[in-house]
Parts: sequence; structure tokens; C-alpha cells
Amino acid sequence: MRLTLLVNDERHELEIAHTARLADVLRDELGLVGTKIGCGEGACGACAVLVDGRAVNSCLLLAAAAEGHSVTTIEGISRDGLTPLQQAFIAEDALQCGYCTAGQVVAATALLAVNPSPTVEDVRAGMVGNLCRCGAYPGIERAILRLGQVAPA
Amino acid sequence: MTRLVRSITEMEGRFEEKWVLVSDDEPEAWASDRPLAIVGHETPRTTGPTRVSGAARYTTDVSLPGMLHVAALRSPLAHGRVTGLNREAALAVPGVRAVLDSTDTLSFRSRSGPLYAEPEHAGALLAVVAADTLVAARAGVKALALTIDPLPFVIDVDEAFRDQRIDGEIAEESRGDVDAALAGADVRVELTVETPTQLQTALEPHGAVGWWTEGELTCWVSTQGIFDARSELAKRFSVAPERVRVVADFIGGGFGAKQGAGVEALLAVELSRRTGRPVRFINDRHGEQLDAGSRPATRQTVRLGATGQGDLVAIDSEVLTSFGMTGWRAVNTPAMTLYRCANARGVEANLKLHLRQGNAFRAPMVLEGVTAVEQAMDELAITLGIDPLDLRRRNFVDVDQPSGLPYTSNQLLACYDRVAELSGWVGRDALLEPSEDGLLRGMGCATQIWWGGGGPPSHATIRIGGDGIATVVTGIQDIGTGTLTAAQMVAAEELGLPLDRVRVTGGDTRPNVYGPVAGGSQTSPSVLPAVRGAAAEVKRTLLQLAGDVFEAAPADLDLVNGRFRSSDGALDEPYTEVTGKLGNATVDGSGMRGANPDGMRANTFGCQVAQVAVDPGTGEVRVEHVWAVHDIGRVINPLGARSQVEGGILQGMAFALSEEVAFDPTTGVPTNAWLDDYKIPSIADVPAMTIAFVDVPDTALNNVGAKGLGEPPIIPTPAAIANAFRHATGRRALALPLTRARVVETLA
Repeated sequence: MRLTLLVNDERHELEIAHTARLADVLRDELGLVGTKIGCGEGACGACAVLVDGRAVNSCLLLAAAAEGHSVTTIEGISRDGLTPLQQAFIAEDALQCGYCTAGQVVAATALLAVNPSPTVEDVRAGMVGNLCRCGAYPGIERAILRLGQVAPA
Repeated sequence: MTRLVRSITEMEGRFEEKWVLVSDDEPEAWASDRPLAIVGHETPRTTGPTRVSGAARYTTDVSLPGMLHVAALRSPLAHGRVTGLNREAALAVPGVRAVLDSTDTLSFRSRSGPLYAEPEHAGALLAVVAADTLVAARAGVKALALTIDPLPFVIDVDEAFRDQRIDGEIAEESRGDVDAALAGADVRVELTVETPTQLQTALEPHGAVGWWTEGELTCWVSTQGIFDARSELAKRFSVAPERVRVVADFIGGGFGAKQGAGVEALLAVELSRRTGRPVRFINDRHGEQLDAGSRPATRQTVRLGATGQGDLVAIDSEVLTSFGMTGWRAVNTPAMTLYRCANARGVEANLKLHLRQGNAFRAPMVLEGVTAVEQAMDELAITLGIDPLDLRRRNFVDVDQPSGLPYTSNQLLACYDRVAELSGWVGRDALLEPSEDGLLRGMGCATQIWWGGGGPPSHATIRIGGDGIATVVTGIQDIGTGTLTAAQMVAAEELGLPLDRVRVTGGDTRPNVYGPVAGGSQTSPSVLPAVRGAAAEVKRTLLQLAGDVFEAAPADLDLVNGRFRSSDGALDEPYTEVTGKLGNATVDGSGMRGANPDGMRANTFGCQVAQVAVDPGTGEVRVEHVWAVHDIGRVINPLGARSQVEGGILQGMAFALSEEVAFDPTTGVPTNAWLDDYKIPSIADVPAMTIAFVDVPDTALNNVGAKGLGEPPIIPTPAAIANAFRHATGRRALALPLTRARVVETLA
């Protein structure tokens, strides 16, 4: 099927299978491999992207369902340099192997967009869908909380 | 001067004597009290910007023109015989280029498999299909229309033991007279505990991209050991190692499971050789959870005998490990080494079961052994009415008892004191007071011992050119531990350059600068001394060149924070005044890890305390706080070290609370080999963690004074939690993990 996708503010005309997942289209058709696939069943969050600003597991979303919506990947988030959130991830060592990190940054970006000053409980509720096998969670929590403290009220 | 010497090397407790290259020019170890500018200070990881921006390229991201994708057909049974595979139908699927099954003669040698006609575990590979797209490859697998006859299987420990399904010999090691000592002991305890099958569950599955071209082989592998992978590929495919290049720029976790090339690389290369195309083979999650290995389950019985004052007189340990069809044995290492005891015996058998063969998982075998021994020690302390930490202090030992050799360093007593102080250990019984929330609270402790001394061979080179950038080339594959950053720090420290003037590379065999497998907590103590040696050589040359440029005696100069300074302070010039004159020339240095000291053993030590809250109604156990104090010699990067400990604690916590492969007893097939029902920790499970180190450099071990840290923090975590549960509830669960059902049953 033909599909028009708006990804990182760029319009792409694509010919894809109607069963194609958004994650595969992003990675294989558009070369946006910063989005990772950890489980393919919506359990780990490594494939999270922003769809109209909300974090969505792109392995569970048909690409066709993203038509008419604005998709932002980790590449889009990073386009104008590292965001303060990404810098906080580095400063707090909120990553080890880094495989889940793109998804963590996407989910945290979405969280901070709706809740600029989250509490610890808010961070844990907002990030519970993003698994990190290395266990970088304490750093992730510190990084997001650090952002909350400097965000404008 | 470089020499070849015979030296003892160690990897996860396996000792081997081999020829190693050593240098007489290796720097002396940094003195314990010498102030360092970079080493020992919190440093963000050098790969941070690449990883947080999504620019890091993992094996799963490698995409080459014309690349084929592989889908796997796996056994749906624990034991069976393949009776039908429709290869023609699979090959007829549009886009399918090749099919391999057990009937194919592969061009590499393999003792068994890797494609089976009579699979002996669920998830074993039966066939692979390579196609233009993954969708087509999967359609090809479906078209194979597998038919398979079930065969009898055994996955039950009791049944296997009754039938004496034992792999090889039963291992026994002993000293003294255990039976007599037990019989004569004032106090005896006996404890039988079970530990679960735990899956490594790296978020990047095992995978490889193989590309065979004109007898040259390039392979991207998600591996912890690029040089091991190179050796394996060269040997299996009969290619000279120089014609094999293995690349692993970024690795999405390993935790022990990603050794060597792996079956994914072997099959990707085989398929590439047959099709002439690059081939990518990445496990899907279910395949990964079924067939990437595990920490095998154990059943352990520990008997301890002691005097009335708490001096151990006998340690007796029996271990049954559910390894699959074959495995190795090391569960009794803690029983034989952790405490001073003249009479000790360890008996260990691996049961042959229709399970995926176990493999390395962070502190393999030792975590399991400590989990049993340290629970038995807790029972002994309770029986004797002695503080559990005091019992451990009382039985502290400062030599490796099986060999009789002293340790290069051992700060365990300081770990006990510090963890007691941080956790408020002496006041722990206050937790037993009834609480308003109705939860039962308690605190427990456990000790860890691990090797982690590293050793030769390990090499590094450093080159600095006209741009003033020092490039460190290593054989490190940084699986997330931050070893590249540690190498950058050590190089900058020794060179006297700011961190941002030093770049560090790894993850590629092409420069042929050898580094060891990222396992056994050996990378830092192996590679960092080599990096320092290379940096020292470059610095010596730079000081000579500075002498030429500034017309000064090199011996009177130093390079500090990027500036050449004379001892009288008269000269103070940026180092670029020298490197800027190099033009296209470079200054190079190479370094190598020296031999380990003769007649000594290198081990890490530590102690952790856990506080838990148990809901007696629901059976929920929450870990509220973990205090961890370890002796890893010099801490190179406190920021990265903290992350390592946090991650180790979380994996150990999950081993104690939630992670367990469940099997359908009627089929022998795992029922939770996915990520949505195999429960690894989430951010919501994270306890408070207080982390400290007894930061005393091990100057006898290597020139940076560092021991390893990958394994240590996971090791004592489960036993500390189990002991805290015992303290809180007065009951001991005889099996981990402490799932709600098991807790409710234990408290009933």
C-alpha cells in the first residue's frame, strides 16, 4: 500500500506492506535505526517514538496507523544537538549498554512534556514501560528529576 | 625491552599457564597516596553522546546492500525427532534464497548441531531460512511445515537424580576430615535451598551479520569477545585469523551470554558463503529467551559445623545443577574459599536434562554457591545467637585455602565495618517492631568473593599526531560497563592531557590490538595497565621532543594537564607547541599487561546488607534498601562504578524475587520465554541503594591498582535478601525466587 508518513517533520511517500509495523518502516525503509527493537511485543519500550507528542511502542503500531500523525524518533529529538534531558542522561550515567536509551529518552521527553516537574512517583509511573536490563534506572530517575528542577514553572 | 615469559592466567577461576609478552618498561603502580588528576574522579562515559542520541550502531543496525535476513525454525518440543521439513516449499517462497537444516553438510566443523534432527531442548535450532526480507524468511519457515515426533524427556531434578542422569564424573574436592569435624562440632546446621533458572535477557538479542568475500570474512557480532569470535570463525571456516575481521562497535548487553562468535555468526557466515550476499541473523525475543542460554537452576545442601563460639570446623556442600546435557562445575567455590575452615568438602554434579545448556551469566556458579552458603551462615548465626556479621568477621580468612596462597589484597573486614555503619546494622532488630502499615521488615547480610584480577595478555597502542589528539586503540568491547571511558581516563592521566584530548577506540579486531573477552570482571584490571604502559611510552617521547623544542633537559620537564612545565616553573607552555610541529608524523606507544605476581591469588571481596518489607497477606516482598561495600582495589571512575553496582544489585534482586523460567511439566517447554511474562525489574522496583568502596589500590596486582567490578555486586544480593526475609518473618523460603505464592506458602 501507499503511505505518507510525517517523520521528524519530513514527509515520506512510501510503498509498504499493509502489515508493516512502524518500527520496521522507520528502521528498514527510512534508516532511522536509533529506534531499537528489544522484544517486538510491547514489553520493553526500546522502540518508543513520539506520535503527536505521546510515547508509543512502534513495534505494536502498524505504520499505516501513523498516517496523518506526526512521528518523532530519537533522531528527530537529537536533530538540533543534545537536549538538556539527554545531557542529564550523560551527567547522571543514566545508561550502560545504551540499547534501551533511545526509548528511555523518548518516554522521558513525553513525560516531561505533560509534567515538567514530576515527582519520583510520577517518574516511576511514567517510565515503567521502558525496561533496562543493565539496571540504569537510578540514573534515569535522577536525570529526569534533575530536568524537573530546572524546568520553568 | 619486551620478553616472552610463562605466566599463570585466570578467567573466572580457571587457571592456565601460557606464554605472554611482557615489557620491562611497564610503569610502577601508582602509589596509594599519590593524588591523581583524572583517575578516581567522576567522569561521564565517553560514548554518552553517541548512545543518548540514537547514533550508536549495534549489530542489529548493520544493513548492507543486498543483505539477506534469517528466520529460524526452532524445536517446539523438549525432545523430538524431525520427521518432515518441506524445503522445496520454503525455497519456492518469493525472496527465499537458502534453506539449511540438519541434512546439509556445512562448511564449518561443529561437535553437534547447530541444526538438529533430534533436538534435546525446546527452542533448539532445526532450520534457518535466508531471504531478501525478514517477512519472506519467516514465510519460508512457515512453508517448511515442520512435523516432529515427540520423544521422552526429563526436566525434573528428582527424576533425573533417581535415574542417575549425571553428566560425566561427580566432582568432589575436600580438605581435612569433614565427617569427623561435623560429628564433633558443638553446633550443626543443615540447609537445602533451590535457586532458579535465570535468563540473561540482554535487550539486544544475540545476532550477527556475516559477509564472505573472496576468502575474506567480515563479521559484525553482538559479542563480549571480538578476538574469541575471530579465533572461532577462523578455526571453524579454516581461514587465517588475519583474514577475519570482527566488529562490535556497540553491544546491547551481554551479561555473560555472548561469548565468541555464537551460532548466529556461524550460520550467517555459512549462508553468506553459499549465497554470495551479506547475511544478518538476529534472534527474535522468543528465540533469545529459549535458546541464548541461562543461569541453570541448582539444588544445594549445605552443612556447617562450628564451635559454640562460632568458629567454623566443617563446611559440607552438595550441589545438583540443572545444566542441560553438559556443563562445568564451580558452585562449590564459595564453600571452599569464603571462610576459614580446616575441614571442607564440595560435591557437585550436573544433571543431564532436556534443557537448553546453561552458560555464563554474571558471576556464573559463584552467585548460586554464595546464595546457599550465605543462607546457611545466617542459620548458623541464628542457632548460635551470634550477630551474623560478627560470625563472618570471626571466620575471615586472608589466604586462598585451596591453594594456600595469600591474596594480592583483601579489604573484606573493612567492607564489613563500613556496611554495618552505613546500614545501621546493630540496630536492625528495631525493624521487627510491629509497623503501622502491617508489613514485616527485616535486614540481612551476605559476603561476596570473586576473582576479577585480570591478567595478560592484553595490549594497547596510543598514537598522537599533529592535531594533538591522542588516539588509544584497544581490544575492548564495551558491553555497557564503561571500560572505554576508564581507558580514556587512564590514558589522559598518564599522558598529562585533558580528557577531551584523548580518544579511545575498541570493538574491532582489524587494528590487531588484543583485548580479553569482556567477562569475569577482567577488562579493567587487564586492559587499563596496558593503556597506561602505552601512555607512558608516548609521554617519554613527548618529553624528549619538548626538550628539543624548548632547549631543556627532558628529565627536568613534566607534562601536566596539557602543559609542559619545568621543575623550576620557568617553563609553562601548551603541549601543542610540541605536537603542532609533528606535521604528518606521529608519536606512538604500545603497552601490555604485565604478568600477575607469583604465588598470589587476586580476588574481589564485599558485603551487602538488604532491608525488605514483606506483606504477609499478599506475599509481596519489596526490597527497600540495599547497602553495598566492595573491595575492588582502586576505583577508576566512581560514576561508572556506581552504575555497575546498581545494575548488579537489581539483577541479583530479581533473581531473589521474580526471575524464574517456568516449565510445562507435561511438555518440558518453557512457558514464559517472552519479555512480558518473564519478570525483569522495572524502574518501579528499584530500592534505595547506598554504595561505597574500600578504595585501597591493589598495588601488587597491576600498575593501576584496579580489580574488576562486573560480577561482585550481583553475588551477595540474593542471599542478603533471603536473610532479610528470614529476619523479617522468622521463616526461610527453601527456594528462590520469593514469589508471592512461595511466600504465602512459607508463612503459612
